[in-house]
Amino acid sequence: MTIETAVGAITPEDFVQPEHRLFVDTNVFMDTDPAHQGGLKRLFKRCAEAIRAHENPVVVPSKVVDELTKQSLIDTSGLSEERVGSIKKAGNALVFLDAAVGAGLIRTDLGDVSNPYADDLFVEVFKRAAHRYEMCLLTNDTALRLRIRLVAAETDRRLVAGVLTKDGLIEVDSDQALYERALRKHARLTRRVEQGLGTDKDQKDVAELALLLPDFQQTFAVAPVVAAPGARRTTRQQRSAVGTARGVPGAFNPSAAIKAPDRVLEGSAVLPAAGDTVLFTSARGDTGTLVLGAMLGEGGEGRVYAVEGAANSVVKVFDAEHRTWHRKEKLTLLLSRGFEREGIGFPTSLITNSDGEFVGYAMPRATGKELQATVMRPARFKKTYPNWTKADLVDVCISFLEKVSYLHSLNILLGDINPKNVMVDANKDVWIIDADSWQLEGYPCPVGTPMFTAPTVTGDYADALRTEEEELFAVATMLFMILITGQFPYARAGADGGDFAALIKEGKFAFQFRGASDRDQPEGNWKYMWSHLPFPVKRTFWNTFHRDGLRYSKRPTADEWLRVFREYEQFFGGFDDFDQMSHDVYPTRFKKKDAETPEYECAQCGTSMIGRWQEYKRSYWTPKLCDDCRQNQTRCSDCGKPKPAEALRDGRCWECNRKRNFAACSNCGKDTPRRYLIDGRCSNCQLVACKDCGTPTPKTELTYGRCASCATKAAQLDPVRLCADCRQPFITFNHASWFTSRGLDIPKSHAAIRKTCPPRPAASPRPRPSRATATSASPQSTAPRKSLWERLAEWWKS
Amino acid sequence: MALAIGADDLVENPTPRVPVTLCLDTSGSMMGDKIRELVQGVNLFYDAIDEDDDAHDAAEVSIVAFNSQASLIQDFSSVERLQRTDALDATGGTALGEGVNLALDTLEKRKLVYSGAGVLYYQPWLVLMTDGQPNGSAVELERAIQRVTDLVAQKKLTVFPIGIGTDADMDVLAKFSPNHPPLRLRGLSFKEFFEWLSKSVSRVSRSTPGDTVKPDLEGLAGWAEL
Repeated sequence: MTIETAVGAITPEDFVQPEHRLFVDTNVFMDTDPAHQGGLKRLFKRCAEAIRAHENPVVVPSKVVDELTKQSLIDTSGLSEERVGSIKKAGNALVFLDAAVGAGLIRTDLGDVSNPYADDLFVEVFKRAAHRYEMCLLTNDTALRLRIRLVAAETDRRLVAGVLTKDGLIEVDSDQALYERALRKHARLTRRVEQGLGTDKDQKDVAELALLLPDFQQTFAVAPVVAAPGARRTTRQQRSAVGTARGVPGAFNPSAAIKAPDRVLEGSAVLPAAGDTVLFTSARGDTGTLVLGAMLGEGGEGRVYAVEGAANSVVKVFDAEHRTWHRKEKLTLLLSRGFEREGIGFPTSLITNSDGEFVGYAMPRATGKELQATVMRPARFKKTYPNWTKADLVDVCISFLEKVSYLHSLNILLGDINPKNVMVDANKDVWIIDADSWQLEGYPCPVGTPMFTAPTVTGDYADALRTEEEELFAVATMLFMILITGQFPYARAGADGGDFAALIKEGKFAFQFRGASDRDQPEGNWKYMWSHLPFPVKRTFWNTFHRDGLRYSKRPTADEWLRVFREYEQFFGGFDDFDQMSHDVYPTRFKKKDAETPEYECAQCGTSMIGRWQEYKRSYWTPKLCDDCRQNQTRCSDCGKPKPAEALRDGRCWECNRKRNFAACSNCGKDTPRRYLIDGRCSNCQLVACKDCGTPTPKTELTYGRCASCATKAAQLDPVRLCADCRQPFITFNHASWFTSRGLDIPKSHAAIRKTCPPRPAASPRPRPSRATATSASPQSTAPRKSLWERLAEWWKS
Repeated sequence: MALAIGADDLVENPTPRVPVTLCLDTSGSMMGDKIRELVQGVNLFYDAIDEDDDAHDAAEVSIVAFNSQASLIQDFSSVERLQRTDALDATGGTALGEGVNLALDTLEKRKLVYSGAGVLYYQPWLVLMTDGQPNGSAVELERAIQRVTDLVAQKKLTVFPIGIGTDADMDVLAKFSPNHPPLRLRGLSFKEFFEWLSKSVSRVSRSTPGDTVKPDLEGLAGWAEL
């Protein structure tokens, strides 16, 4: 749930449910606004049932109670009517609170944090408990509502601050409305302070709002509003940066049309090399000669030479193809304005060969090494600057941004920002070189670097002027690649890494922000580096790089970034700096969620570990071993897969043990432990001799130990044994053998085995009818009439 | 464990890679000086990459040798993990199509590894060296030519077909290279060729991904018959 969806009137009942908290600020109790009259009473009426049901009373911190008490004791004589009403309300509130606490509707047993102000207390409580509760604060204080909303954005939890309505509902402003309300308040208070009417509190509020407003504007990308007259707005990013003259002396025309295509200068100039003498013309028109020293480097456009006797200067000599009209014009323009600044390679003079033909320019010698050869290569970086911490990289970013900001203020775009034309030295001072490729006064920058090229730039770099928006893509990418030492913002697991332009165009920034999936973060420790960036830094990067981000098509300016990074500088050693590992350039784990997150060492390798909050258990999970140790210490001896020791039995994993110990029964196919298999058959499929005929038969086909045919037979009546009473067969083979097996005499009649004799076929007079009639009866009835001897003879023959 | 270290190596280095696959003829005709010089050249190539700051972090080399059949004698690896070769046996036929197909298969696999881990890479290179006529399967040869020309057309491969000696079938090599004609090595200047190759790798790794590599023509003169 994001804050955006909570806008409008919300019901207070929601926040007295389990895992929720509702807080009330002092000013709500002292509110004399008739528009809010009776709201508190109605709020409690609405919530009472739920509060009791969940035993979750509304929280009025002890600090608020203290404040109300203090207010209620103020001598009211000589105060305004409104103030008197408000003080009276404080007194009433205390009585009400007493009653409500007694009724279990309110708890005041909270808030003994050593914080002098209730405002800070609320912010602190919300920050700390954000991951446990959804919380709502009722307050009339606009600044406090801004702060709570910023905390909500930072923690990505449902944290709401609103004002009470007459109906006991909580009204929450939209981002824009809240921002404008705060702007108005800021303007109003500023006016009051400027007129000399402001109290200390007014001054404090003005200062607080001045800090909060730009942050809020950036976080929620609300539309900046022209402040009311009399208000002081000092943030520079309020001004539209693109296409406006900035009023910096010597700034170029930002809306100059693109010049005609570049062309190589006429004449087959002799290109000077080391040891040659060349002529220079300085900004002031001074001329002279100098001698080129050793070649220092060779780039795509020419060669750079030292200057004999001038250690602080170098000369760039273009090669024949790059000795062009645009370059000469650009350098001449730059030179004519006489710009000079430490860390920027402004030209100091034009260089001509002995024939007077333009061949290059002189500039101050940059200190340090290309970022490409230092910060962008972790292995090299660790060797070159082994003692640098994250704070040092932040300084590098700031130094870079200061130069970019200055150039932008002159309406110069660097054009081809890349790690080869930005240098950094051991003092973390940045140099920006390659003045001849900058874009100014309608002369385009003819080169570019795909990784740093905004998706809107298409075709040949030289064919169009770049926009500041496009330049700011390169600035953001450079900052990211400095902080994350060389990693490309759009590197993404599962995407083809061979097509940079496609990766940029997709706008899928994979680094995790606010609970989004982290499955496609590039492999390696990059995700840890990202995790340790402070929230405002992450937020600005995410909003800039992710296609769903608020700044995706309205990228932060160099000045905005400067503010973000200066704040980052302040972060170290500040209130939010609770994880020591955030100082490391290469952290080895994720950042702690908050100061309370337990931190400990892996019992085996000693690497730093932190507890993982488990929402459903409401506690931290703190395994003894780190993932690597758990994965690597033991392996299954059969399949070789790394498995934690506790998952192995006899050195094998569950799957391998199962594979070893189980097999299919050759008869029924059932997966059976091998120890239960005999001759490949499971116990159910074992052959057992039929107890009557002795034929081996699968157990499942036996009925009381008999094979199917013997079982049928056993269930038949023994035709030989006749009931002594009715002379009919009466006992089954099975039953008879039961008696025999126990050494008992076989019973002789139906009655003896608790059966009744069947009714006689003919119920009439007496047994002996004529033979004729007898034979016409059923054959059964004739059988008993055979003489004993006849029957004996039959049996004998059978 | 070695595997895990290899993986760290891959993912902890953010430099976009230049995968270079050497597809080398080791048929009977290469026996003697040719194969010896070739092996020396390859080792020199490794040294040169190792010493170059840019190429060191970027290059990944694999080697496919082909004679009567094709075999992968070095899978893609950073220069620190490359296994040096002392000698290669030169014997048997010239299964060139099979060799190229194996090289491309290996390359495809490596690209999958890159993509899986979120590692960036430049357009891969295929260096194809032979001193004779292909006499493997005609179908395989046709398939190899088709695959290479398709990849080159999509700008997903840069190919360097190099003929060794006067018997090399330059017509077949030309089929692998739709954009520029194959080059013939001058004499046995393997050393010069591999020096040039390592410099080119270094240039690419310093260049901007997506750029087409402009062969260093001055450098070519050092080893190619122009």
